[in-house]
Amino acid sequence: MTAFLLRRLGQALLTIFGVATLIFFLQRLTGDPTYLLVPDTATQADIEALRHALGFDRPLWVQYLSFLGEIARFDLGRSVVQNVPVADIIASRLPYTLALAAGALLVACGIGIPVGVALALGRDRWTARILAGLVLAAQSMPTFWSGILMILVFAVTLGWLPPSSTGGIDHLVMPSVALGLLSMATFARVTRTALLEELSKDYVRTARARGAATGRLLLRHLARNASIPIITVAGLEISNLLAGAVIVETVFAWPGLGQLTVQSILARDFPIVQGVVLLGSFVTVALNLLTDLLYTVVDPRIRLGGAR
Amino acid sequence: MSAAIDTSPVPATKRNPLRRALPFIILLALFALAAVLAPLVAPYDPNAQNLLGRLKPPGTVARNVHYLLGSDELGRDLLSRLVWGARISLLVAVLSVLISGVVGTVLGMLAGYLRGPVEMVVMRVVDVFLSVPAILLAIITVAVVGPGLLNVILVLALTRWPRYARVAYGQTLSIAGRPYVRLSAFMGAGPLRVLFRHILPNILGAVTVVATLEFGLMVLFEAGLSFLGLGVQPPTASWGAMLSTGRNYVATAWWIATFPGLCLFLLVLAANLIGDALRDRLDPHSR
Amino acid sequence: MAHMLKPALLGAALTLVAALALSAPAAAKDRFVVDLVNEPSTLDPQLQWNPDSYYVYRNIFDNLVTRDDKGEFAPQIATAWKVLSDTQVEFEIRDGVTFHDGSTLTPEDVAFSVSRIIDPKLASPQQGQFDKIVKAEATGPHSVVLTLAGPYPALLAQLVKLSIVPKHVVEAVGNDAFNLKPVGSGPYKFDSWQRGVAVTLTRNDAYWGTKGPFATAVFRAVPDAATRLADIQAGSADLAVSLDSDLAGQLEASGKGKRLYTLTERLAYLRLNPTKPPFDDLRLRQAVAYAVDKEGITEGILGGLDKPIGQMLTPAHFGWFEDIPGLPYDPDKAKALVAEVGGSPKVEIATGAFFDQRVVQAIQQELADVGFDASIKLVDTPTFLKLIQQGAQGGPALAVSRSSCACQDADGALYQLFHSGNPWTIVENKELDGWLDDARATLDPDKRLTDYRKISTFIAKEIPVVPLFQTVAIYGAAKPLQWTPTPNESLFLNRMSWSE
Repeated sequence: MTAFLLRRLGQALLTIFGVATLIFFLQRLTGDPTYLLVPDTATQADIEALRHALGFDRPLWVQYLSFLGEIARFDLGRSVVQNVPVADIIASRLPYTLALAAGALLVACGIGIPVGVALALGRDRWTARILAGLVLAAQSMPTFWSGILMILVFAVTLGWLPPSSTGGIDHLVMPSVALGLLSMATFARVTRTALLEELSKDYVRTARARGAATGRLLLRHLARNASIPIITVAGLEISNLLAGAVIVETVFAWPGLGQLTVQSILARDFPIVQGVVLLGSFVTVALNLLTDLLYTVVDPRIRLGGAR
Repeated sequence: MSAAIDTSPVPATKRNPLRRALPFIILLALFALAAVLAPLVAPYDPNAQNLLGRLKPPGTVARNVHYLLGSDELGRDLLSRLVWGARISLLVAVLSVLISGVVGTVLGMLAGYLRGPVEMVVMRVVDVFLSVPAILLAIITVAVVGPGLLNVILVLALTRWPRYARVAYGQTLSIAGRPYVRLSAFMGAGPLRVLFRHILPNILGAVTVVATLEFGLMVLFEAGLSFLGLGVQPPTASWGAMLSTGRNYVATAWWIATFPGLCLFLLVLAANLIGDALRDRLDPHSR
Repeated sequence: MAHMLKPALLGAALTLVAALALSAPAAAKDRFVVDLVNEPSTLDPQLQWNPDSYYVYRNIFDNLVTRDDKGEFAPQIATAWKVLSDTQVEFEIRDGVTFHDGSTLTPEDVAFSVSRIIDPKLASPQQGQFDKIVKAEATGPHSVVLTLAGPYPALLAQLVKLSIVPKHVVEAVGNDAFNLKPVGSGPYKFDSWQRGVAVTLTRNDAYWGTKGPFATAVFRAVPDAATRLADIQAGSADLAVSLDSDLAGQLEASGKGKRLYTLTERLAYLRLNPTKPPFDDLRLRQAVAYAVDKEGITEGILGGLDKPIGQMLTPAHFGWFEDIPGLPYDPDKAKALVAEVGGSPKVEIATGAFFDQRVVQAIQQELADVGFDASIKLVDTPTFLKLIQQGAQGGPALAVSRSSCACQDADGALYQLFHSGNPWTIVENKELDGWLDDARATLDPDKRLTDYRKISTFIAKEIPVVPLFQTVAIYGAAKPLQWTPTPNESLFLNRMSWSE
């Protein structure tokens, strides 16, 4: 068991190391930010001086080793553009991304799950079908398009909601809906599948045969059993939502990590991009490790994997 | 029986689920036809500008040019750009799915069948790629290689192959253990033969489902990259680029965004529905 | 008694008018919201060089001198200046200016600010604009003397951009802390900065000059232009920067806001590389100049606001001449020249994401119309900057770019583009070098003008560049805002007013 744990831990560390290396070299291939920081009138000497002050004139492998050293010390470095520690910038933007993800998840589940239930129980075939169609349609539109349409209708024309930026809970509504649209269909599908799976099980048939009094008990059992796959999917959808947040945040000027990273990539602010990507991969790897550990507890056969 | 909910299971549809998706398969075929026959179908040169005929509504006739769907911000005929745009959007989606699908499936199969060091290397690389959000990886890579049609296709393929690899890997693991596969290997069949004769046909179903869903996603991704200014080079018309530019004109020249948006939407919807239907057909467990 | 009646009546009338005015709803605006493209990178005036930052910090700090709305030099912290010699200038420092922490602004602060920005240890990106200044000394209770490396005619133009920082604060808290909590002497005080969201400033009621009209000013970052437009239309922002002509037109048409615009000193131009094919042939360079329909572009695409130019200068620059127009639009002549050279010269137009792509596409079409095999190579801004900073030999064959020196002086506009040895340089020509060096080494305006005339004539004849147009900066504003944008794109809150 410990051998397995150690091996998985080793693999996790290797993955993070791989991500760090990939991002480091990929970014360095694009040059460096010095050109962007100087005025039009800068001479070659000025540019070289700034490049030296920022440390970009060192040989690549020296920069790489220094970078690895910083990570080992949990130091994410300083932003080249803003001149403050990367950790501070990320910490100030992270809550906004989390709020957006939570809001989007709420919207996606709040609409997706009921649609899935309706589809599974098949009460009113046609409304369910139409709802399913709408939900799928929502997932088929680029978010920057649905975003600007929402802004036009709800902010400019009707004036019900503020068009952009952050401020109060009303600022969170449109970005959450725009982002949540991406996942509604997935939740609808998973809910429908899970419910159908449950409905075909023996205990449901026996309960039905025994009559109406068990209706509520059935509901509780159904909900509990069907929720497992839904929660699993929710976990996977979170990473999809975080990816989709990049565009939603840009359209709505929502100050989250997605917008920060895109602008940092375009501004060649390497430390910030490295910081965000490393943070993201750390979280992903940690979650994967946790899930794997849970699976080994549940299913001993997996522990023995590897032999042929 | 006063049950609040009717919990009787819905009878499984006995018809072929693909029939449900038939209208969308036809739609997809129409788009593909338009793309292939673009030079014949498009009424005008998609890049012919007319600076005096900018932003004309659908139906305008100017200088002997019939702008059936209106003109864009440089006076180009929207319908022609739409038809040629089909070519670009479909090309990007098809090629990126094909490349990432083939590369990912092969690597996943090798990892799942050969195990050992191959498995370790491939799956670790897959992990690395999957822990970086795809769009960020795409943006960084485009910043390195520069935008343009070919680069966009390669970048999309680069960021998506791990998904196929993971599915192929999982499926290969479960099939490789089956008696007839082991028998075949025992009887002297080389690994390549086993892989392509026995394993590939069985995992193709799952991979195809992923591919159809990825298809719609690739179309949306290309639109997203165009929005961020990292897509195909102007003046090339892709639906994503047209939609992105048209966004700035929604209130006044709504046609510039609406028609490409509609086409994009229908294309992705068609891909998603077909993917859903395929999933129902090939994998009854997930009904 | 009669002679008391008139002033009494007048007084009563005035009081009545004042009462009516005050009772009118919200004649003063409390909270003014500005939508920028990006948030400021830092608020320390000496640590960066980008408009998003100086839109904000120019309201927190005063500069040594400034430009009035007409573009003329005007006193700010320096009330008068005297040229002592070719290399020494004395500035008289204003009395009664206090920093936001209450302390008085002294000549020591001025000297400190100059020394700080030229100090290589600070590694300021602006250092190159001030490195002709060798020393700054406070020489009396109201004076500062700047010592220069040589005669420097553009000194005042550069000093418009020098902000005065408080010596005691910077030395006490250090650069990092000062960056997070800037203290200046300007009409607005720094209040707070919610990273990624907004910077909030509050009015400095103890300001020595024109006080600001708004109690609070909030600067937000809204990267998407369509969203900035929606903000003005929905009333959640009062001023939005950087709208293009089509978006501004929509704003006017909707009636929910208005556009404010001004010609700036930025100019758009095509840069050619005369050291490699195809543009090592003067005929093809001329063909490009004849092929581009500048008026068609500015009138047809850009809404008629930008102004076509024939030189690499705008009328706002010292050194501009009305009688050097460059080659006119003549596509037939262009076609003839291309046909003379033969073949279909292949040219890739390099351009960056910051440039209006509608214009680039129009240019590509116009080049194709006269016989070039023209394609567009669009890259992101940092990559583009790298492409054009390869010196005269390594630059792209053709690039569309925009230049600005924020100095309104021909030296700043021309030197780095045409003097050999610079990374941005387009040509390497000994004669040109001589004229450029000459013009920047003398304080005699007539002598400088002679040199600049020679330079501009050379450029018009040899066509290493095709100047396109002087660009316009368009802002979207709420209807009650009264403000005249300036050519140097400064956003001075205390020059605005609000009339409901």
